Amino acid sequence: MLYSTRSKLIISFLGVSLLVGLVSVYIGSQLLYKSVLGEASNRISRDLNSARRIYLSRIESIGTALTVASMDGELRKALSRGDGAELGDKLVSLAQQSGLDFAGIASSDGRTILRLGSQPLGGAQSFAPETASRTEGNSPNTGTLQADDRNPFIRYVLRRGTPVSGTVLLERSFLLAENPELAATAQIPLLPTPMAAERDEGEETSGMAIGAGVPIRVGSRVAAVLYGGQLLNKSKDIVDTVRDTVFQNETYKGRSIGTATIFLKDTRIATNVLTPDGNRAIGTRISREVGDRVLGKGERWTDRAFVVSDWYITAYEPIIDILGERVGILYVGVLEQKYVDMRKKTQAVFILITAAGMVVAVGMGSFLAGRITKPVRALITASRDVSKGNLTPAIGPPSKDEIGVLQSTFTEMLSSLRARDKRQRAESEIKLLQSEKQAAVGRLAAGVAHEINNPLTGVLTFTHMLLRRKDIDAEMRSDLGTIAKATERVRAIVKGLLDFSRQTVLEPEPTDINELARSAVKLVENSALVKGVGLSFKPGDGLPVRTLDKSQMQSVLLNIIMNSLDATDSGGTIAVSTNLGLAASKTENKGIEISVSDTGHGIAPENLGKIFDPFFTTKEVGKGTGLGLSVSYGIIERHGGTIRVQSTVGKGSTFTIWLPLEANEDE
Amino acid sequence: MKTRKVLVVDDDAIVLESCRKVLEAEGYKATCAQSAREAIDILEMSYFDLMVMDIKMPEHDGIYLLGKVREKWPMDRWPELPVLVMTGFPTPETLKALRRSGARSFIAKPFTPDELAAAARKLLKRSESNETDESSGDR
Repeated sequence: MLYSTRSKLIISFLGVSLLVGLVSVYIGSQLLYKSVLGEASNRISRDLNSARRIYLSRIESIGTALTVASMDGELRKALSRGDGAELGDKLVSLAQQSGLDFAGIASSDGRTILRLGSQPLGGAQSFAPETASRTEGNSPNTGTLQADDRNPFIRYVLRRGTPVSGTVLLERSFLLAENPELAATAQIPLLPTPMAAERDEGEETSGMAIGAGVPIRVGSRVAAVLYGGQLLNKSKDIVDTVRDTVFQNETYKGRSIGTATIFLKDTRIATNVLTPDGNRAIGTRISREVGDRVLGKGERWTDRAFVVSDWYITAYEPIIDILGERVGILYVGVLEQKYVDMRKKTQAVFILITAAGMVVAVGMGSFLAGRITKPVRALITASRDVSKGNLTPAIGPPSKDEIGVLQSTFTEMLSSLRARDKRQRAESEIKLLQSEKQAAVGRLAAGVAHEINNPLTGVLTFTHMLLRRKDIDAEMRSDLGTIAKATERVRAIVKGLLDFSRQTVLEPEPTDINELARSAVKLVENSALVKGVGLSFKPGDGLPVRTLDKSQMQSVLLNIIMNSLDATDSGGTIAVSTNLGLAASKTENKGIEISVSDTGHGIAPENLGKIFDPFFTTKEVGKGTGLGLSVSYGIIERHGGTIRVQSTVGKGSTFTIWLPLEANEDE
Repeated sequence: MKTRKVLVVDDDAIVLESCRKVLEAEGYKATCAQSAREAIDILEMSYFDLMVMDIKMPEHDGIYLLGKVREKWPMDRWPELPVLVMTGFPTPETLKALRRSGARSFIAKPFTPDELAAAARKLLKRSESNETDESSGDR
């Protein structure tokens, strides 16, 4: 019982802590992860803004550089002079200063009159006025005449008359015209990408560039257009700047956390996202879903996304070219792994806390169980002590809870047990005293009786022999009669003494107790009637036949009823009844009870203890020997029974004879 | 009818005298013995119709005496000597022992002359009828 209480408590504690722990592991890590993810998404959104600013500022710087160059007096003079060499120098230094991959000057009719050649920059020969090639007709640059249309900057400036800067798509033919090397750089083989949209071509040949075109005005007329730009294909410039400035080149497990990519349509043309083998993932493509959303609908996308080979928290936005077309995508993303690991760490911490909680629960459970069961154990030990007979066991320090109630109840039970024990001991002491007293008196009586018997025989014999004589006068006869009567009384006393001393023999026979009581009542009926005392008998039901000495038992009953009659005045009542009952002290034995209740004088409390003593009587001299009740007591005792008396002075007395159902063999 | 002979055994002279008085008043011849030994000696010499005896006597008690009597005069060989035992306060054990030794009748002390006479008469009447039966058998 003890151990199960303990384990129940521990299991309950464990269950609660486990439940709370698991719930907190789940909710905690989930909530935390979500909020971290949310934070990461916000951050990546801001990072995308920063990346866009870097992108735009690069465009702006090219635009500014071209504008400044277009204002240059020397350039204008050279232009008006048609000085190709001078213009070529200007272009080269402009390209060098602003990091331009291509630059050129177009005439007002749209023909390119000068551009950076395919030869290493700086050679003046590379730059030839367009007029020259046109006049020569056979120039290797003739092909570029048709390319003018394909230059979006020139087209834009000439059509609108305003400077322009921004993103443009450049066809392969334009790139070839500008610089064959440029075309080669722009050429990107497409790599198979699992989630991308299908595409037939095996490579991307067009290029994406940022750049600007500015009109060179003479008066209000646009005399020429200066253009220039930077090819984005395979460029590391912008994406690495984003990585280094926005993400501050933060690394996680040896990899850059932040990545940036520029897409041409759906193809990565500039990126620092790496393929599993560590190369820049140029030529891989965007997943169809993101492509549709960003390119197709022009939406901004912020979510976790699978990029090349890892999950990233990403942000995409479309790149709009100078004509307002969506031509590409700007992307930034951070490795999700960091956050996943963070979640794992959090979970681990929560699980650790849960485990600690469970350990604490086990500890607390056993501690509490110990505290709860300690007083219970003390009580169990105490009750074992009680069952062994120790009525003052230690029950441990008092508790202030339900156990305390149990303890106080237990203590009450103990005190009533002690009281009962004391009472029983007192009763048996009284009984023992009574028996000892009777035994002593019995021995004395037996001795006296024997000594008296012989002389008494003589007295009786000679008195009666004298009475038989005819020659005595009446007076002598009367005197002799008195002697005879007195001697008879002595004989009766001695007989009583002998009865009392238990030397007489029981002659047991099966007896109907009700019949016995009824006959005893009948014998007294007349006397009661004469005295005016009501005498009733109420037989009990179901009394078994009991083996006992009929005549002795009857004399006991008669003795008690006669005593009651003596104590009851006219108008009173005596009720005799029999019952199947229990004895007060021998609760384990069923027995037969015979009660005699009267409404007589009662017995004074000081006399209650003496009424069974031999020779104790309250009757006047000559009316009682004082042996009746003590003899009765002896007879009932020899039958294994008891006589009890309850009495109230002035109200009456009740004598109760109790006999066990079965007589013991040796009685 | 010839005079019946009764042997009275008791250590108390008063009792002996009382018994003799009553028995002789009844017409029997009473012989008194004050001890078991004396009673046995008397029994060796004379024939008695009845023995009235006490139990509690010094030296040898009534049970011893009864045993000796039955030893010398077995119940089946000789017309039984009826024995009337005078008791004071016999215990069940004493009564049992006496019955085993052939005591047939008891009288409690103190007794009146009438009680003793009646008891003696009863025993003598019974032995008389036994005697008659046996004598007729002999013939």
